[in-house]
Amino acid sequence: MLELQNLSKTYPNGVRALDGISLSVGAGEIVAIVGSSGCGKSTLLRAISGLDRPSRGRVLLDGESVTSPHEKIGIVFQEPRLLPWLSVAGNVGFGLEDRPRVERNERVVKAMMRVGLADKAAVWPRELSGGQAQRVAIARALVPRPEVLLLDEPFSALDAFTRIDLQDHLLDLWADLLPTLILVTHDVDEAIVLADRIFVMRPRPGRMFEEIDARLERPRDRQSAAFDHIKRRVLTSLDRSLDREPTINDRETKVSTGAALWW
Amino acid sequence: MSVTGETVAAEQKQRKSVLTRFTRPALGIILPLLLALGWELAVRAGFSTGRLVPPPSVIFSTFAELAKTGELQRHALATLGRVAAGFGIGVAVGTLLGAITGYSVLVRSFIDPSLQALRAIPSIAWVPLFILWLGIFEASKVTLIAVGVFFPVYLGVMGAVMSVDRKIVEVGRAFRLSGAQMVRRILLPAVLPSYVIALRSGLGLGWMFVVAAEFMGASEGLGFLLVDGQQLGKPAQIVAAIVAFALIGKITDWIIVCLTAPFLRWEDRARSGES
Repeated sequence: MLELQNLSKTYPNGVRALDGISLSVGAGEIVAIVGSSGCGKSTLLRAISGLDRPSRGRVLLDGESVTSPHEKIGIVFQEPRLLPWLSVAGNVGFGLEDRPRVERNERVVKAMMRVGLADKAAVWPRELSGGQAQRVAIARALVPRPEVLLLDEPFSALDAFTRIDLQDHLLDLWADLLPTLILVTHDVDEAIVLADRIFVMRPRPGRMFEEIDARLERPRDRQSAAFDHIKRRVLTSLDRSLDREPTINDRETKVSTGAALWW
Repeated sequence: MSVTGETVAAEQKQRKSVLTRFTRPALGIILPLLLALGWELAVRAGFSTGRLVPPPSVIFSTFAELAKTGELQRHALATLGRVAAGFGIGVAVGTLLGAITGYSVLVRSFIDPSLQALRAIPSIAWVPLFILWLGIFEASKVTLIAVGVFFPVYLGVMGAVMSVDRKIVEVGRAFRLSGAQMVRRILLPAVLPSYVIALRSGLGLGWMFVVAAEFMGASEGLGFLLVDGQQLGKPAQIVAAIVAFALIGKITDWIIVCLTAPFLRWEDRARSGES
């Protein structure tokens, strides 16, 4: 169980990126954080990962305080950030350096098969497509079997088809190990496809604005009425988080206007 | 269908690259060969005596003569030894200072301005001072070469360390690498491509400065052969020494490239192909 207690972050230049964020996420739960750009989503994720330290408040993982990168917390960035001098297999096994070679190889091979890149083991990262590289990055983060996996807009640089493909893929991988997933995104569809709960943040200072329950049955149908209902709720909430008149009423056309405007 | 199309394209590309690998250097060699041949014919035909500009055949026989008596080897080894010592010292100090200044902003603002000021001095200007301080024998020569090697290595390493991608360093942090692991697994491989370039330009300057060093008074070395050839009016010997410089310089550069190539296979082919 991951718990954030009154997390605040003020940058040296006085910008209050986060203000009093409290949140608890159960084991194996998938949580999405959405919000307009500059609302502190990424700052929040970096604070949870231990890469940045909050100015106030604490991050607790199973009751233990996280102040620096933790072995039970993995992170996937917006860019794959693969090491160009290591083969794909070398990248996947990057976090297993201290394990015996046999175990490392075995786990790397398994992970490569799991992400469907078994034939790319010996290839250099530069030879991968964007989607493949991001899959390698996810495999690299999952191979050490973290309890919590943080994803910072992991698919935002990919084209729409690859993105949907990777969302499904991520759910498959999640079903294997059931880690807690915390996903920062500005793609509302992505949040609803993946998450059990969606948190909407509001900017300046970054605060939690609303929590939306999205526990639909899996696999989720992007065309279903339930999906659409949650999408409207999220978009309305986003509009309100910016103190804007809700642009959504029952007319279908307005939904897309809101979706286009909120970020 | 697209798969077969891709493999055919790849094969063609490979065949083309094999072709260009052999034809490009061959193209470059045509002009010097033609000039050499033309000069040889001009001297043979009596258009010139070839006394001050010896024809290729004379240069070759001088080269062979020097090599047969062991003179050439002795001089080349002396020069090589000086370059090796100066290069070793210059690289060691340049790498150390470059790494520290690249890493620490404080140290950089403390010592980099002084070093940049020293760099602005043409290194040959140090010669009189080095002779006064260190005498006219090996120490002053090796020091001059080391100074020449130091600056490109220092600048290259500092720039490389400064420009290591912060995002990749963060990956290392996320995987909880210790300081030593961070250096070994992230910083060293990230810096290596620029480091090799720095070493190569340092070596080039080392060869340049060894000539200056040997001009200032040496009893052996390829630079001595040059001075000797000038004073005794033996242009063929001068050119033979120049050829020896070119050969050894190219070979030592090639050794650096070959030793480091296994670690740089990951680089884009476009970049490594131009070397």
